[in-house]
Amino acid sequence: MSTTVDIAQATGTWPFVAAAWAVVFGGMGVYALVTVVRGRRLSKQVPPEKRRWS
Amino acid sequence: MVMLTDAWLIARKDLKLEIRSRVAINQVMPFALLVLVLFAFALDPDRGLLEKATPGLYWIAVLFSGLLAMQRAFSLEAADGVTDALRLSGLSPAGIYLGKTLSVAVQLLVLEVLLGIGVAVLYGTSITGWLLLLVTIVVATAAISTAGTLFGVVAAGLRVRETLLPLLLLPVLAPVLIGATRAFESALSGTPSEGWPWVGLMSVFAVVYAVAGIFGFGPLMEES
Amino acid sequence: MTTETVGSVEASASGPTSTGSRTTMVLGIVTLIALGVLVLFGLILSPADESQGDSVRIMYVHVPSAILSYAGCFLTAIGSAVFLWRKSQWWELVAYAGAEVAALFTAFTLITGMLWGRPTWGVYWVWDARLTSEALLMLLLLGYLAVRRLAADYEVRAKRAAIIGLLLVPNIVIVRQSVQWWRTLHQTPTLSLSGAEIQGLMLFSLFTGFVAITLVFIWMVIHRFRVAWLEEQLEAEGLDTAIAERRAEGVIS
Repeated sequence: MSTTVDIAQATGTWPFVAAAWAVVFGGMGVYALVTVVRGRRLSKQVPPEKRRWS
Repeated sequence: MVMLTDAWLIARKDLKLEIRSRVAINQVMPFALLVLVLFAFALDPDRGLLEKATPGLYWIAVLFSGLLAMQRAFSLEAADGVTDALRLSGLSPAGIYLGKTLSVAVQLLVLEVLLGIGVAVLYGTSITGWLLLLVTIVVATAAISTAGTLFGVVAAGLRVRETLLPLLLLPVLAPVLIGATRAFESALSGTPSEGWPWVGLMSVFAVVYAVAGIFGFGPLMEES
Repeated sequence: MTTETVGSVEASASGPTSTGSRTTMVLGIVTLIALGVLVLFGLILSPADESQGDSVRIMYVHVPSAILSYAGCFLTAIGSAVFLWRKSQWWELVAYAGAEVAALFTAFTLITGMLWGRPTWGVYWVWDARLTSEALLMLLLLGYLAVRRLAADYEVRAKRAAIIGLLLVPNIVIVRQSVQWWRTLHQTPTLSLSGAEIQGLMLFSLFTGFVAITLVFIWMVIHRFRVAWLEEQLEAEGLDTAIAERRAEGVIS
């Protein structure tokens, strides 16, 4: 451990914080987008009486 | 009661088939021994690694060769529409489940005894703590076969069953692998008191899966 | 372009053209505001921890993700149970949506946990009881999803997946117990949440994280449920038209 340069010590913890938040926010964004797009595409193919969201 | 007689019928039928087809003897058993030999190649026997890892290697060998046996238990049924015949036979689903479990358990026990001899001979393991070892084998076998039979029928009849069953079963059996390995370690190291909690955990596991199988087999048999 | 106009006409006359509704629209806006508040408090206003430094900020998204990954599993187990008991497709789809979203949050938990572990422990992965059981949870969820997405009849997929979904909860309990024992036999648990005294602004940031991520979870489950519903409608309808076509052929020939 001590012989190798520790990334965390060299750069501080902010890169890890940024990466973690980017993964969570990016992941949520991508999943939300994919879900909405799929929903729009499928909605066009399903007759309207079967897609009434109460 | 009907459930138990049905279970006995199914178990006898499956085991008879297994004995006559000799697949278990000619293919599954040699495979299990092969796994033991492969472990020796991977972990140099001279460095003492093999000796330390014996309990874990033993149970991994049981799981992998057991998977083969479990897949057979349902590929037998899938062919020739035997599933429909079973459904029409009027046997209770719970009985069919318990019978299959029993047949898988018997095959696993034979496999485990063989692997035990293999480990003792090939890895030079000196066996101590007989009581804990035997109880662990019985309880772990119950756990593996109750879960294996339930997931076996979940994967049965599907084109992807060979790849699906390991994916479903191995994560579920992880606690059994951990428990059986730790129990064996404590038996072999002469501290059996550490092993008994694991036996308890595996018993709970086996009971949960037996109940799930008894109640879940009905709905699973109805479909497809 | 024409489909767009047709869609909008339909929207006004007979139902929505997407999985959105007024409820989810409002929920979505509230969620975005909550996420903004989370960024404000988690990354800017809250101070760095005395012992962990800035890496404590990862906890504001990690802990809520972990809790919601378990919540999603419970939702799946409940949905599967009601489906098996009452044969209710509605609940089966809830279970499916819950499992997929739970898998997403489990992935977040694992990744953020590793990114927290690297600066804190010096390694990405330790065989800590919590990490290990979360990893096994991921594999269990992948098993459920693999069965639920089989190319087979709805009845077959749904019923078999429901058995696995129902067993998720006992599995989680047994896995957690076994992993806990497995680790404590060798070393004391490396991470204890109660040990970290989280107070004041940091506690509030964690709270906003929990609220925001829970809202995201609810929004996602609703939308995913509707997508799953549309998929099943389409498949059932596809089957109906196929049968109708066959019948028509039969009449003609």
